[in-house]
Amino acid sequence: MLILTRREGESIRIGHDVVITVMEIRGNQVRIGVEAPRSVQVHRAEVYDQVVEQNRAAVSTLDRAAEILRTQVPTKET
Amino acid sequence: MTVETSPEANTIHFPGGIPGFPHLTRFALVEIVENGAFQLLQSLEDEDVAMVVCVPWLFFPDYAPNLSDEDQEALGLERPEDAVVFCPVTIEPESDLVHLNLLGPFVVHRKTLIGRQVVLADSDYPLRATVDPGAA
Repeated sequence: MLILTRREGESIRIGHDVVITVMEIRGNQVRIGVEAPRSVQVHRAEVYDQVVEQNRAAVSTLDRAAEILRTQVPTKET
Repeated sequence: MTVETSPEANTIHFPGGIPGFPHLTRFALVEIVENGAFQLLQSLEDEDVAMVVCVPWLFFPDYAPNLSDEDQEALGLERPEDAVVFCPVTIEPESDLVHLNLLGPFVVHRKTLIGRQVVLADSDYPLRATVDPGAA
């Protein structure tokens, strides 16, 4: 992992179009600004990881889900 | 960007893939039962990757996902009615409880069929909202 030391107000540029700026340091919290193209989704890592895990669970439980939900035959509102 | 025509008319494109499957960008929605509440989101590039999805409002009429400006712009969404929203469905092993992921719904532009899975980070929506599938 690349490790860089930055002060408040200083930035890191990743590639041509992503800029990470240290906005504010207060106690053990750091406020970070991210400038990125719209096509790049920016997430808090732990939340993103949970969504990844949930997607994998959705794929791995597909057979059981289809089995359960096929027998329920719920009907969509019209 | 390539524009695909007729045979792929119902293909949903996720330009950046989806979390956990970043290399898969083309999916189709397939019915499990006719007019059912639950559908299958099937990868067109890997037949082993598919998940059940569900329109959240069938179970949560007050669900109000607030898309970020970035997500709206990336999807070219100008009006809420242009968005098609559906949530991943998981089954809890052993208990068989059915969960909807309300925190990370798929949002697709109705006309362009371009979508992304958004993360409603500033909301309190749960990753696993339990539903009674017979109650839709």
